[in-house]
Amino acid sequence: MKTPLRAIDARARRRVVLALGALSAGTLAPAARAAIGGLPSNTGHADSSPEWENLRGKLFGSRPIDASSKLVQLTVPLRAAYGASVPVKIVSGLAQTAALHVKKMHVLVDKNPSPVAAVFDLGTEVGQADFETRLRVDEYSHVRVVSELSNGELHMDSRYVKTSGGCSAPPNRDALNLLGKTVLKVPEPIRFDTPTLADVTVLHPNDTGFELNNITVMFIPPHFVRSIKVSFAGRKVFEADLDFSVSENPTLRFNFVPHGAGELRAEVEDSKDGQFVGTLRVG
Amino acid sequence: MGRALHRGWFGALRVAAFASLAALAAATHALGIPAAYAPIVVEPNTTAERSEFDLTAPLARAQRENKRLYVYLGANDCPYCRRYEAFLDKNAAELVPHFRPYLVVDLRSSLSTQATRLFIRVGAKSLPYAEFQRSINDERARMLVYPSVWLLDPQLKPLMQMPAGTGTFQTVPEQLEILQLVQ
Repeated sequence: MKTPLRAIDARARRRVVLALGALSAGTLAPAARAAIGGLPSNTGHADSSPEWENLRGKLFGSRPIDASSKLVQLTVPLRAAYGASVPVKIVSGLAQTAALHVKKMHVLVDKNPSPVAAVFDLGTEVGQADFETRLRVDEYSHVRVVSELSNGELHMDSRYVKTSGGCSAPPNRDALNLLGKTVLKVPEPIRFDTPTLADVTVLHPNDTGFELNNITVMFIPPHFVRSIKVSFAGRKVFEADLDFSVSENPTLRFNFVPHGAGELRAEVEDSKDGQFVGTLRVG
Repeated sequence: MGRALHRGWFGALRVAAFASLAALAAATHALGIPAAYAPIVVEPNTTAERSEFDLTAPLARAQRENKRLYVYLGANDCPYCRRYEAFLDKNAAELVPHFRPYLVVDLRSSLSTQATRLFIRVGAKSLPYAEFQRSINDERARMLVYPSVWLLDPQLKPLMQMPAGTGTFQTVPEQLEILQLVQ
């Protein structure tokens, strides 16, 4: 990954896991769940966290971030059905014009082992900088989106999310032969010269490196989608730098502006240098 | 836990904590929702192929009494279930009054009963877990997690989307959030 925050190699992550596992076993049940004994104090949607303060410095330095402008808004349920698949919706209160547009968007999960879930690089061809996806949220945490405008301003929204697990069946790995298959869909009728919804889905386990294979009792090595680059008629719509904090079978709902018939194209790269392409003829 | 694994993607940590949880739970609480909550206990009708829980009678009672349903699916060999039940037991004095709008239903399963074998019956219709979830527009169709809770109105309509597991409402304020449908 491009940023050092995301460059934690598998061995390092495994060491962290083992160390934490040993800690839990040694300190008995009170360490097993965060919420017992009282809730953290920073559970307000707009609250900060030590992890965010650290990330903020590394990603944005001392630049001011406006968290009250409503120029970007985040919708995430307080409790999702599954922590491994938390629906996240980002809505921008700003049309993408040459004069002023969202240039970059960071999606963060404060307490995930790799907190930078996605970084979107955008131009005006996206029309409207709205996105939907699903994230893994490992524990009680804030989810944040920080939009960087073309004039350099930073705007943020955040939501506090509660996730936990239980006892369940192992992950579904029935379709590994389809790994990398990239599917594009346009769910609504095409509207030329206006933002038009589209979905890209990559069939991929997006393995984190933290999960145990319950048969071999070995860690499943990390293997995840690192980037998705979407273009229409040869013009960039967006480029997304992703991480394993995105749920398995990564899906992005986005907008693009078709000016006429053309090919919608998604180029995908994963962490084992797998390269995949999906296309859809539009118009 | 048999073939089942905790699903969290930081799974190793939780697996490591597992033995501690099991020991703690076994030492502190008997099986099922505590009696203080006046649960309607539903044991499954079990054959080699399926384990079926019949919600017909609890639903009829909810309609008669105009109450909501708090349906809890636990497993007799699930430490997370013991943990939640122990939490309810410990805080019964504070929580029971807030459960009054609900009829508590305690479905008693086992971890070996996975989604394809677990059926829910309402009246003449019996559906496997995933199909039942889809029939009520519950997003938890993909994977069966023990324990699970449904909040249902007397017409079997979910009052809100619930999370898999109960780990996010094992403090009194959070259990109250759930009962008050805070989303």
